[in-house]
Amino acid sequence: MTAVTDLPTQNRAQLTAGAKAALITVFVGAVCLALEGIAPWLVKWPATWELPATQWVGAFLDWFLNLIKPAMRLFSDLMTYPMDWANYVLGNTPWPILIGIVTALGWYLGGLPMAALGFLGLSFVLASGYWTESMNTLALVAVSVPVALIMGGGIGILANEVPKVKSFVQAVLDVMQTVPTFAYLTPLLLLFGFGPVVGLIASAIYAAPPMARNVMLGLERVEPEIKEAAIMSGGTRFQQLFQVEIPAATTQIMVGVNQCLMAALSMVIIAAVIGGFNDIGWEVLLTMRKAQFGESLMAGLVIVVFAVVIDRMSGTLASERKRYDSRVVWAMLGFAVLFTLAFRNWLPNPSELTLLDPMAEAVDSGLTAFTQANGPWLDALKNNSLFYVLLPLRIGLDQAVLPFTWGFQWTSTMSFGLFAAGAVIALLMAWRGRLTGGLIVLILIGMLETGIANLPWPFVLTSVAALSWVAGGWRLAALCVGLLCTILVSGLWERALLSLYLSGAAVFSCAVAGGLIGLASAVWEPVWKVVRPICDMLQTIPLFVFLIPVLMVFQIGEFSAFLAICAYAIVPMIRYTRHGLVNTPEEMMEAAISSGATEWQIMRDVRAPYAAPTILLGLNQTILYAFAMLVIAALIGTTGLGQSIYLALGQADVGLGISAGAAMAILALIADRIVQGFAEERRAALGL
Amino acid sequence: MPAIACRNLWQVFGPGADKALTDALSRSGNDADKAASDLRENGFIPAVQDANFEVKEGELFVIMGLSGSGKSTLIRCISQLLPGTGGEIRVDDQNVIGASKKVMTDLRRKKLGMVFQHFGLFPHMTVAENVAYPLRVQGVSKRERLDRAQEVISLVGLDGREDSFPRQLSGGQRQRVGIARSLAVNPDIWFLDEPFSALDPLIRRQLQDEFLRIQATLKKSIVFITHDIQEALKLADRIAIMRDGKIVQIGTPTDIVLRPVDDYVREFSKDVAKGQHAKVASVMQGEADCGPDDPGLTISMTLDAALAHCMELYEPVPVRDADGNVVGTVHPSDLAAALQVDEA
Repeated sequence: MTAVTDLPTQNRAQLTAGAKAALITVFVGAVCLALEGIAPWLVKWPATWELPATQWVGAFLDWFLNLIKPAMRLFSDLMTYPMDWANYVLGNTPWPILIGIVTALGWYLGGLPMAALGFLGLSFVLASGYWTESMNTLALVAVSVPVALIMGGGIGILANEVPKVKSFVQAVLDVMQTVPTFAYLTPLLLLFGFGPVVGLIASAIYAAPPMARNVMLGLERVEPEIKEAAIMSGGTRFQQLFQVEIPAATTQIMVGVNQCLMAALSMVIIAAVIGGFNDIGWEVLLTMRKAQFGESLMAGLVIVVFAVVIDRMSGTLASERKRYDSRVVWAMLGFAVLFTLAFRNWLPNPSELTLLDPMAEAVDSGLTAFTQANGPWLDALKNNSLFYVLLPLRIGLDQAVLPFTWGFQWTSTMSFGLFAAGAVIALLMAWRGRLTGGLIVLILIGMLETGIANLPWPFVLTSVAALSWVAGGWRLAALCVGLLCTILVSGLWERALLSLYLSGAAVFSCAVAGGLIGLASAVWEPVWKVVRPICDMLQTIPLFVFLIPVLMVFQIGEFSAFLAICAYAIVPMIRYTRHGLVNTPEEMMEAAISSGATEWQIMRDVRAPYAAPTILLGLNQTILYAFAMLVIAALIGTTGLGQSIYLALGQADVGLGISAGAAMAILALIADRIVQGFAEERRAALGL
Repeated sequence: MPAIACRNLWQVFGPGADKALTDALSRSGNDADKAASDLRENGFIPAVQDANFEVKEGELFVIMGLSGSGKSTLIRCISQLLPGTGGEIRVDDQNVIGASKKVMTDLRRKKLGMVFQHFGLFPHMTVAENVAYPLRVQGVSKRERLDRAQEVISLVGLDGREDSFPRQLSGGQRQRVGIARSLAVNPDIWFLDEPFSALDPLIRRQLQDEFLRIQATLKKSIVFITHDIQEALKLADRIAIMRDGKIVQIGTPTDIVLRPVDDYVREFSKDVAKGQHAKVASVMQGEADCGPDDPGLTISMTLDAALAHCMELYEPVPVRDADGNVVGTVHPSDLAAALQVDEA
């Protein structure tokens, strides 16, 4: 008992790392606030101190891209051959045969359910009238995926064989994961000019890393004794690798193939932004711009159908599967051919099929009716969230509270009162031995008063340094501050803060809502039965499609972007929270039950602490997802880095595009490292 | 010529271990213990320290030690799965430390077989394909290698499971596959790294017996790793006991049980029923005056059996060899004394 009572006194005598960090942050924040009047440069980084980094990057890249242009153009010329070929094959094969092939493939991979999925999926595509566009998209995927698989597989094997290359490859893959998708497109645009080949190459580049990662992981995870058995059997390195290690890693590699396919599809659709190529992504974009939401929803559904079919079918590769009767495959193919031959003169042109047009129109008119009927309510939701939550977060209470929205004007007395209240809470908490908690309350109140977009730069740097120091020590702190400084001097700071604000708000909402849903799913099985398929669906849908429904209901604007980000980023939070809570070791639960703990006590004292590292990893994923979506959401109205990247794409401004992309990657990287640091610390504390 | 000979073998882990070992040895004047503690202080891990032993042709040599004692590292040095930091290992009379890849591949294809604790079976191959794999890498024709695989599969009693995949087999069956695979090329030297440790006690005993049966016909030179003293005593011709990377005693099972060199070895043999392992020969004296009784002891009888024959006797009795000639005498009280458990 004495040891336990000793602890708090010790804490009070010498501050914990967290308390120290929080104290310094509060101090710097207070200084910045106090000096705001005399030294405005403390709050806002003066424009004269900015380096024209964006131009430098642009100039360098222009030079570099011009240098490699001839080789790249040659490459793209070469790539047009397989692409034209795939286009021709997919475009000219009669649709019954294609449906037959996909159905047969489904049967071969997963039996009746997969065959039904393939058949129904493609039938839907046919009925929607987007067959031609879909085949164009599919042709791009069909060419880019083999390229990505070969590149990714090659890189993975190389990294496995040459240990020196490995850490380098790992680092590059980490960075590539955080660089937003649009940022790839600008330099590619300069290299290859407009046209489908940009989408092809972008998606090959984007889809290779997951393959490389999984190949590396799979080879690494082959049991050491299996590797040793191959050596002792007298195999050469080549034989060991190709006869034993790669086959033994098949499951993991197939996970890579699945992720590679999905990434390629997602990117091909995003690449439609630079488009002008008659594919399904372009169709979505076009109809969205024309506010034909019924049609864009229909095109979006076609994309979702493709995503689901490709994902579920390739997913079977990664799991243990039965062999299905191959005679059925031949029967299906034979039937498709006979059907085509028999009805060759009566086959409808798929582009002219309008079976689902009434549905699109119904959606359109239904939507109009819905928004008209519920207009006041929806507007109220949107405006209230904007004025009372998002705006204060962005520009602070002192500027957001205006007579015309809040009904009164924010005064300095109110600021004073707010800080006084915060100080009282902080003091009370410190009195109870929770000094760190109290200081954090003070910091949060300060941020609310100032607004994230208006935070003084020394305060941001200090708080990030303090946080990363607590999470991972001096080296991490130095890394984070160094990276942030590059954003600061490059003139992208304000935009970075805007991005930080929106993704921060989204991540916070996702953490709260996702955490609660995850908790509910963990304690109550029926909830999970409902939530799980929704999560599966949300994770399969290409990013782009998230924009359609929010746009339909809430039009263009920050709130829509916010919702789209949340819809995409909430999934990992739910999944990891549930996973962490459900996987508490049985023995620990039994020990708690036999100690006489109630359900709630077990959750609070055993399951939640044990799940903490897993939940933190979920938060980490949520942050990365939010950043990824932030850029896509720029299409429907966000400010900040996402918008810059999108604008750069429109103006073919490589300097801006790459710099803004890098800034985005830096933010994601910092968030990632800090959260990982905390997760690592929790894991170590639990002895995992 | 011994099948395997290790001289001053070191395996040190850590960056730049080669140089560190040379330095440490020169600083300590080739004193292994000093060099080892020197290496430890500098952050290196001397997993095997100055190992010296020989495995004779056809001998079953067991290396025994607790986990972390370096026994697995030692067998991986000999089989060159680990490079070996210093010293010499002669396998088939060539030094394998620093041998080229090609030399090692050839040696493995012709002379060496290895069995692993967790079986190390290839999950994507059937039993027959697993067993035939060492032949496949040599380019033996499919027909020929499957025929040979069939032979060894029969030898380990797995007939009928040729087309099963490893995941469809029980632990004991899997290790039979591992044993069959290691015998596919009919190697002269056989490494077994805790082959039975992952199995249930009953299956373990069954496989030990079969292993002895196979060895009785094949007469391989064997290095066998275990952490189980009972297993070591049951199987070994000679045992090497390892502790913290050092070999502390090498001897026959009787030596280990009756003449432990230190408390560490004594601790191991403490729980062992000595009577079942030590032979009459170990307490026999030369010709001496015998009493009137002759209970019929032979030199190869275990102490337990011998004692059962002379429970009521108080005078020395004669001991005979296999041919029935008297070769010495034993005093019943010596038998009883040898069976006393040490009070440590």
